[in-house]
Amino acid sequence: MISISMETGQRNIGIYVCTGCGIGDTIDIEKLKNQVTARNISVNFKEHPFFCSKEGCELIHRDIATQQVDHIIIAACSPRVNQDVFNFPDEILEWVNFREQLSWCMKAKDEDTQLLAEDMIRMSIAKVNSISSPQPYIKDNLSSGILVVGGGISGLTSALEAAKAGYTVYLVEKENKLGGWASKWKYLFPEELPFDKPKLTEIIDEKIRKLEKYKNIHIFLESTLESVSGEPGQFTISIRNKQSNKQIVTGAIILAAGWKPYDASKLEEYSFGQSGKIMTQIEFEEILNEEKNNVEIDLKKINNIVFIQCAGSRDEKHLPYCSNTCCPTTLKQAWQLRHMNKDANVYIIYKDLRTPGKTEFFYQELQKDEQIFFTKGDLRQIDTSDKNLSIIVDNTLLGESIKINTDLIVLATGMTPSDSSELNLTYRQGKGLPDLKYGFPDSHFICFPYETRRTGIYSAGCIRAPQTIQMCIEDSTGAALKAIQCIESTKRGESVHPRSGDKSYPVLYLPRCTDCKRCTEECPFGAYDENEKGTPLPNPARCRRCGICMGSCPERIISFEDYSIHSVSSMIKALNIPDVFEEKPRILVFLCENDAYPAFDMAGLKRLGYSPFIRIIPVRCIGSVNQVWLSDALSHGYDGILQIGCKPGEDYQCHFITGSELTKTRGENIQETLRTMMLEPERIRTEFLEITEYERIPDIINDYLQTIEKIGPNPFKGM
Amino acid sequence: MIDIQPDIEFIRQTRKESGIDLSQCMQCGACTSVCDLAEPSLPFPRKEMIWAAWGLRDKLLTDPGIWLCHQCGDCTATCPRGVKPGDVLSAIRKQYYRYYARPRILAKIIQDPHFLPLIILLPILITGLIIYLTGTLSVLEGDVNYSNFFPHIPLNISFISFFMFGLIGIILSIRVFWKRLHEARISAERKQSILKSFFGVLIELLLHKKLRQCKAQKHRYYSHLLVFWGFILLLIVTFFAILSTLFFEYPLPFLNPIKIAGNAGGFALVTGCTIMIVKRVSQRNNYKSSYIDWIFLISMFLLGITGFMVELARFQNWTFAYLLYFIHLILVWMVILYLPYTKFAHFIYRIVALTFTNSYKS
Repeated sequence: MISISMETGQRNIGIYVCTGCGIGDTIDIEKLKNQVTARNISVNFKEHPFFCSKEGCELIHRDIATQQVDHIIIAACSPRVNQDVFNFPDEILEWVNFREQLSWCMKAKDEDTQLLAEDMIRMSIAKVNSISSPQPYIKDNLSSGILVVGGGISGLTSALEAAKAGYTVYLVEKENKLGGWASKWKYLFPEELPFDKPKLTEIIDEKIRKLEKYKNIHIFLESTLESVSGEPGQFTISIRNKQSNKQIVTGAIILAAGWKPYDASKLEEYSFGQSGKIMTQIEFEEILNEEKNNVEIDLKKINNIVFIQCAGSRDEKHLPYCSNTCCPTTLKQAWQLRHMNKDANVYIIYKDLRTPGKTEFFYQELQKDEQIFFTKGDLRQIDTSDKNLSIIVDNTLLGESIKINTDLIVLATGMTPSDSSELNLTYRQGKGLPDLKYGFPDSHFICFPYETRRTGIYSAGCIRAPQTIQMCIEDSTGAALKAIQCIESTKRGESVHPRSGDKSYPVLYLPRCTDCKRCTEECPFGAYDENEKGTPLPNPARCRRCGICMGSCPERIISFEDYSIHSVSSMIKALNIPDVFEEKPRILVFLCENDAYPAFDMAGLKRLGYSPFIRIIPVRCIGSVNQVWLSDALSHGYDGILQIGCKPGEDYQCHFITGSELTKTRGENIQETLRTMMLEPERIRTEFLEITEYERIPDIINDYLQTIEKIGPNPFKGM
Repeated sequence: MIDIQPDIEFIRQTRKESGIDLSQCMQCGACTSVCDLAEPSLPFPRKEMIWAAWGLRDKLLTDPGIWLCHQCGDCTATCPRGVKPGDVLSAIRKQYYRYYARPRILAKIIQDPHFLPLIILLPILITGLIIYLTGTLSVLEGDVNYSNFFPHIPLNISFISFFMFGLIGIILSIRVFWKRLHEARISAERKQSILKSFFGVLIELLLHKKLRQCKAQKHRYYSHLLVFWGFILLLIVTFFAILSTLFFEYPLPFLNPIKIAGNAGGFALVTGCTIMIVKRVSQRNNYKSSYIDWIFLISMFLLGITGFMVELARFQNWTFAYLLYFIHLILVWMVILYLPYTKFAHFIYRIVALTFTNSYKS
């Protein structure tokens, strides 16, 4: 339990300075101890050459037991290592990174290094003095149900996997039967052994059969979503059916609404629509499977057929991306056609024939057929004037342009995602999921593939990215696991992602709110709804605890219990700024914990030295930096402020998606503040750092110090 | 621009003859990078590989480059996909014997293993009939004298006239091939006179200059040179032998210069053929040999062997000498008279293609 002395407001702080890993050789520990204990009488200062040893840990545990130390400051290695060793769940724990940020990158036994160490301890004491242990946000009656939207291969897999794990599943499908696109086809291209021929679509029927065995799966056919409201653990969903409306409550949502073929009518350059003999892959699939009787085209009698790959794909005018499935689908269709017509010549014109996964083997198998001709090439024109079509292709592998007379042209059109606004979210930020530029729900495709920008809603299958059946199965299995993780974390009142296990959440002091809506607009995850007046209605379970709302609030009414406007301000003000004549500038660095902080650790590991004049405050996201911290720092006398965030932009690396971007746009307001304080714009600089760019760190810091030297010390110094 | 009309039969034949899955070629051009014949504007044999896969028969059958290749095997040794361009080109060359042969039906029969009994039976019957009419088919007593068995005059007349029949076939093939080459030619500009190029080509062939440059299969230069010169010697000897039957006493004595030349030629031929056979068998996994190769090579080899045996039988007065002589005559027929329809025709197409390339700018 955390106790604070009622009389003095003082807390029982234990400072544990490890002297291992070169820390003891870098700074004068005795001097540091005297400095710290002289000002903070109640502080318990201990040193040990090896705190992460069993003996060292026992020392801390003994202090907790005998001296009621409940605010622990570990001044040792980076907080990114030894988290399992220094594990004190009931106490407030603060790390001072003496190893990576001090002993590994600063001059040993130097006056400035010693001052830096002292300041680091001061800041940590200020922090633990101004925070409290967060109490988790847990609501009653949390649901363990999972809503799966879409009954295609992805939806079926997610539903099955979640049901297998014992969770109740509600599966909503728009059409009157399950199975999605794949159930309309006869064959699937092979993604596992044997590769010599396509597979029948049995896999879908098998999944549906299995599904029906589970009593905890509720299927809603011919149903759509009328509205989805609430937050993880308590999504209230209204399902509309022909006959009735039904309300359910689920803990998480998996969106597996699938894909639509690209609108071929836009493909003018492929003469689409000018002849019944030019068709899309989907239309050809229907003829192949004899679903549609086509009098004009008898596949058993045609002599020549041309497949054009990337028709409107990997093309800036249409879809700039590759849809993964069109090439193997063409191979499958070529196989089917050749098996029904032994005389037909098949021509496949591609930009690059792409065979994801193991479909390369199927391609190699098809190459053995001497009547399937493959060539790279650019379509010049399709001539529809004759009874038979003819096509001219440039830049072929044959070294010159070729002309092919053909009976049929099949265009391999790509996939576009289904509209996520069919979710009909009642969120303030819109009905659907925010997307990246191609319309797919925004997610970090390497680090966090399933995460959408709506906590508790996971996209899977082709609505997330164009994928093959096997990829969809893997994808939707993962999404089911993510949904389960969300339900369980929400039950414990913990953040799901990326700050998994974080119990803190933003607390708003609404009486001082001016309804400016900045938090409701800037939250990247739509955690805030609004009432009619514009007052924010927080949904803490949707929150990812980044603090961007805290950074946005001009009234400074949003704070976390262990990360607040006050706590960071106290850290800023905790150190004494040397006066002008000492010629020791002070630069405050706000460092994003996600990528920039590890990059600094790497710089330490690589022994890249930099100036001891910087004072680092780690922040949850660079977007959580409130303007008041900047003005506090400048009025306290810091000569400059560096904000270092993760990479923004198209292929952003910001863990909270818009944090870095917001910092850029907020820059204008900050310049306004600087003007009112009669300060130079260079006093605040923002830098973006990728996790691998640690080698830039000395340059960034030295360059900024030179800039500050040029403009001179902060005029507020010593005031 | 190529108007694509694939000849599926051509693809199948090329695949069958070469044993190569043409689609495995990924058009990397490793073959071109090691080929002496490749020029910047002519990625040889990379382009021929895809033409073959696409069944562009007309392109390939009017491509003199196919005949510039002496199948040194450098490309085959370099190919990262094991597609063996050398074997593919060789398979395409075999298609020439079929497409330019006149009448085509003869080529088809001679190149089809199913008809092997027929093509052996045919000379047996015809030669047998002529001998039956002009000489005797029974085994003769006494010293071996082949002219008693098959008198020289009918022998020379009949075989020379058969040869004339073959010659007409050759001339027809050359005519069609030359015409097709002209039709497919892009530039009409002459480099040098056809006659000059022809003699240039002859000299090159006599010295085997190109084949000497091969790295991967050095032995081919020697064995082919032996067979080539052995055969030429025998051809000259035969010519003088025919003359001798008219003006001298025949058979000639053993130490007659013509006889010595004949024996030397026969020895070279048999040695060369033996090397070829041994190499083809030992390298059968790397270089494919087909029926067309074997039927020609083995008949050539047996021709040489039986020639020696016939000679030996005469000195030894073996009783089965006449049977050997008969077999030898059948083999003469198989090699010389079937020439336009067997692999033997390769020298004709090669001379024509080389003469053409040297005469016109590409």
